[in-house]
Amino acid sequence: MSTTATASKTTPPASPLARSGKFKAFATTFSISGPVIYCVIQYFNYPLFTYWPAVNRFAWGFGAGSADTGPNMLWYGWSVTTVLIAAALGIVAMILPEGLTKKIPLWLVWVLPILAIPYVVYSLALWWRLAARQ
Amino acid sequence: MSGIVSVYTFWTLWLFVHLILALVLLGAITHQAMAVALPVRKPATGIVTRFRAVSAAGYTTTVCVLYVLTFFVGSYIYTQYRTAIRIPLEEAHFYKTVGFFDFKEHVATLGLVLLPAYWCFWKNAQEPEYDNARKGVTLVLAAMVWFLFIVGHVVNNTRGFGS
Repeated sequence: MSTTATASKTTPPASPLARSGKFKAFATTFSISGPVIYCVIQYFNYPLFTYWPAVNRFAWGFGAGSADTGPNMLWYGWSVTTVLIAAALGIVAMILPEGLTKKIPLWLVWVLPILAIPYVVYSLALWWRLAARQ
Repeated sequence: MSGIVSVYTFWTLWLFVHLILALVLLGAITHQAMAVALPVRKPATGIVTRFRAVSAAGYTTTVCVLYVLTFFVGSYIYTQYRTAIRIPLEEAHFYKTVGFFDFKEHVATLGLVLLPAYWCFWKNAQEPEYDNARKGVTLVLAAMVWFLFIVGHVVNNTRGFGS
């Protein structure tokens, strides 16, 4: 691919961290598993915590909004859960033999976020239905 | 901050910080995406060619830092959106706007988890095995940043600065 030449000519040698096989395994596994974990977490609604901004309150796990507490926010909890699980999988990948982790298809890194988009749109169906009723 | 600036000014300032970070991020990732999608093979002459002729790898760490900063500032002002912006939007039946903002929050997290691989692929740009993945992840990340920026801009126009 023509970008190879461009990148090679303009790129200094990679840092020891970037060259490390363990870091490559961590980064690739983290980024491949992240979108999948996020969709699963959001589908089953497993936030690590819930935040109620009107009363500045946190609680572990899922908590509903109410007239007393105001609206709840789950996105923080979903995101933190995703990062923690993806990081744990990344650490597992670092322990595995390099020959095994090198077999992970790299194209999954950019294909899976694209595949996650239809699910995300579907998960927001409530808003699209409400908008369509107007 | 109370006593120095009003609550309104406080959140407006943070919104501006978010906007400025997002603008710089948008410029950096667009330069890189253009350089990767349409690499320049001969000396740059026009403004478009020069835009594409940047040293793309040099943007990588900047993009990661800017993405994380924009993400965290956005996450901070999101609390204000949830109470002071979204509820009036729902009451005014701006359901598509609310839906797209929720869409934006999901895309922001999907972009965040791409950063380690994005950084790794660019920092190993001399290894040909990463070429296709690097190009793919850069273009996907650029598309995400553009989407986040446009939705944020529309929501701000609906009920943001000055409302």
